Amino acid sequence: MNLEFPPVSHLFDWPTLWLDGTPLAVNKTVLIYLGATVVTMALFWTAGRRRDSLVPAGAQHVAESGVNFIESSVVMQTIGPEGRKFMPFLTTIFFFILFSNITEVIPLLQFPANSRMAVPITLALLVWGIYNVIGVKRQGLLGYLKNSLFPPGVPKALYVIVTPIELVSTFVVRPFSLAIRLWANMVAGHLLLVTFAILSATLWDSTYAGAAVPFAMLILMTGFEILVSVLQAFIFTILTAVYIGGSMHPAH
Amino acid sequence: MKRTIRLLAAALGTGAAAVLAGASPAGAAETIGGCVFEKVIEAEETYGSLHTIENGPKDDLEKFEDGLGDCVEAPSPILPEVDEIIWGGAAFLILLAFMTWKGFPMVKRAMDARADKIRADLDSADQAKADAQRTRSEYEARLAEAREEASRIIEEARDRALRLERDLQARAEAEIADQRARAAADIEAGRRQAVADLRSEVSAIAIGAAERVVEAGLDTERHRRLIDGYIDEVAEDRG
Repeated sequence: MNLEFPPVSHLFDWPTLWLDGTPLAVNKTVLIYLGATVVTMALFWTAGRRRDSLVPAGAQHVAESGVNFIESSVVMQTIGPEGRKFMPFLTTIFFFILFSNITEVIPLLQFPANSRMAVPITLALLVWGIYNVIGVKRQGLLGYLKNSLFPPGVPKALYVIVTPIELVSTFVVRPFSLAIRLWANMVAGHLLLVTFAILSATLWDSTYAGAAVPFAMLILMTGFEILVSVLQAFIFTILTAVYIGGSMHPAH
Repeated sequence: MKRTIRLLAAALGTGAAAVLAGASPAGAAETIGGCVFEKVIEAEETYGSLHTIENGPKDDLEKFEDGLGDCVEAPSPILPEVDEIIWGGAAFLILLAFMTWKGFPMVKRAMDARADKIRADLDSADQAKADAQRTRSEYEARLAEAREEASRIIEEARDRALRLERDLQARAEAEIADQRARAAADIEAGRRQAVADLRSEVSAIAIGAAERVVEAGLDTERHRRLIDGYIDEVAEDRG
């Protein structure tokens, strides 16, 4: 039995298909991002055009459930009615991340595009920019800094500890934690699936029956990764909403 | 039409999947050993043999060793690639623009329209229910009125019938009494007439009998026979 596990980087670094050597090089990851954009557009276009049925079905059901879910479970829970104006942004984030993640379990594709750092960090920095701009616009630069770095209700002596923590947490760590959480989960999921797939194939070649356990785990993990894909999209979206809500309504 | 669109979408999807699946890099199935083997083959094709590199210029050896090192040291998976940032960022911004301008408002409008329709339907259902209840109440009121009216009519009819019965009875009784009185008067008149007739008849008879008696000079026996004979004669004449 010869278990050949490829180097970890080879599972994520895809070769260029077109425009090699340019900053616009296209590889599998890029195609998945573009695919996620096209699928989301098609979903909402189809859903928005069908108004005849009283009970939504198909694309309409998926899009409307997503919108309802984001409105009731994300926006209303974190920002409140005022946050409805961010619904298009949050809905876009949710579906874009979801469709970039879910390719992990789609046969033939089998790769989560967000296991590459590009989009998680881009989106996280975009979110960072947005919530800081909102904070400054709503509270003024000084007010925003004061509320962020000197949280009300904390004993003044503790500001010595709290303020540096808040500074690093709010302005430095947040975008990276947001990006790394998504990226690391997708990397881990992809590694798990690859591990069990390779183990199954190798054991099938040598023992047949021995492949049953890793194959069962592969099926189990595939189901689990569907959950993770949705969950990570939700977590990224809700944290974005929490950060925006925090900038809009400073703690009193 | 829908079928054609679906078939087209399925074909496009399959095509895209095939392209992506074909995009599996050699690396996806590559091992470190495979990579080293490829580098060795490349070096042998370039330099003739590995000994040539070993004994050749130091630069060639370092280049070969760096190449082998690349097999082990792949790029860090956490560092984002510029091309992926550009494409991913552009894809997201395009999607965000579409969603803000068209996608989200379309779905939201559809949802609001349906919510409005459901609300309107519920309102109209409530209205219809209220109307039905009002109509029912009206019908029940009318039914109660009708029942009351019917009872009143029956009662009146009963009273009227009773009065009529009494009237008729009184009239019949008066009629009977009247007829009875008239009959009694008629009987009385008949009786008087009969008595008068009888009296005049008897008088005539008596006169006729007296005339015979006077003509014959009669004893008692003869007297009786004459009278009886005269009566028989009169009776035969009238018979």
